[in-house]
Amino acid sequence: MKLQHYLGGLEGIDTEPLNFEKRVFVEPWETRIFGIHVAMMGLSKHLNKALPQYPIENVPTKFNSIWTWADLRKGAEAMNPFDYFRFRYYEKWLGGISSFFVQSGYITQEELDARTATYLEKTDAPNPSMFEPAIDDQVIDYLHRGDPAIREVDRQPKFNVGQKVLVKDVPTTEHTRLPGYLRNKTGIVDEVYQGAYAYLCSTGADGLGEPMYVYSVKFDPKDIWSDITQSNSWVYADLFEVYVEAAE
Amino acid sequence: MSERFSYRDDREAYNAARVKALESLLIEKGIISSETVDKVLGFFETDFGPFNGAKLVAKAWADPEFKARLLSDTPAAIAQMDFPLGMAGAEGEYMKVVENTPKVHNLIVCTLCSCYPWPMLGLPPYWYKDPTFRSRAVKEPRKVLQEFGLELDESKEVRVWDSSAQIRWFVLPERPIGTEDMSEAELAALVTPEAMMGVAQVKVPA
Repeated sequence: MKLQHYLGGLEGIDTEPLNFEKRVFVEPWETRIFGIHVAMMGLSKHLNKALPQYPIENVPTKFNSIWTWADLRKGAEAMNPFDYFRFRYYEKWLGGISSFFVQSGYITQEELDARTATYLEKTDAPNPSMFEPAIDDQVIDYLHRGDPAIREVDRQPKFNVGQKVLVKDVPTTEHTRLPGYLRNKTGIVDEVYQGAYAYLCSTGADGLGEPMYVYSVKFDPKDIWSDITQSNSWVYADLFEVYVEAAE
Repeated sequence: MSERFSYRDDREAYNAARVKALESLLIEKGIISSETVDKVLGFFETDFGPFNGAKLVAKAWADPEFKARLLSDTPAAIAQMDFPLGMAGAEGEYMKVVENTPKVHNLIVCTLCSCYPWPMLGLPPYWYKDPTFRSRAVKEPRKVLQEFGLELDESKEVRVWDSSAQIRWFVLPERPIGTEDMSEAELAALVTPEAMMGVAQVKVPA
């Protein structure tokens, strides 16, 4: 198991009360790595097969990889759990995205380190000049039209509203959309969403990728955590069909 | 949680230089342009942001028919609004709204990462991305809300929505008392991102 898959219900991570930090970015540099990630998603090579069929081959970028949320998440899920907690949200992005560009051969570790050392000295050095509106337009077009997941399938949902379902304990892989705290727990199907949802990549033995139905499953917290005696609360999770089976 | 771990003395200066180095290299290598990052950031200032969600909430408060549509078919209600292009775009392909009432309180969370309805709410605040909120919200939502300054009566049912697939959830907060004479624009000005995530109530300034 990976701790990052099991955050829900984990206790004692930090002192109470919670930090109610309402800013989106707490350091100005964080805005830049956010922008880089969005640009990568908007230039991802898989977008020619997305429903809007973006003309990605015609975009004059040297970016030649697939990059989606799944890739960013794989990086975060692969981290040593201590580092996951040690680094702030956008520090994890910076580490993951920098490593991706080095490992994919776009840049070398040496040039990244050397350039970092330079900018530590010259903090207000200007960025290089390269103007290519067609790159920027594609990224904005991606923000406008997104990457819709619903696909036509020739089958019906396996489960119905009101049905009791058991969450499977699927094998752990590099990425999942199954919250760990729900594994082996039973809940009630509250809604069957219309349409079958493909996922951004195959998650292997975890089971995502091909289009499948998604259910809103309602859980009683008392059925998840045995130390809860009364709560008057419910947890609703959106679960892909491959993650559940009929209970009893 | 910074005191538990050690960091470089120049932590933020180093991060800033690192990201600047990365961006400049990506520009030189022809991956992005000199303007790409600024254009993305500008887009989140003007097009995707909580200012859209606030208008939606205000209209739902003012117009019961619109509210019914917003709750039953969120994308259709959004399409009726005079919003910028792209409201069903990135991270808004499948949005759903849940309604707070005197009997039911809703809270959104993403325990696996930080899924969030970008076109309507923009980017999530730090508390929402914090592993501490994500771990505690599902198990002890009342205590979490109390720490955020929201006391709920025991009799009020709490529903926590874990955004674990592609649906992006947000909350239609309760309309505060004393706002009967307000215009939609005045109402929208009261609505905070926190209210649309279910960790705050909408308040009228005294």
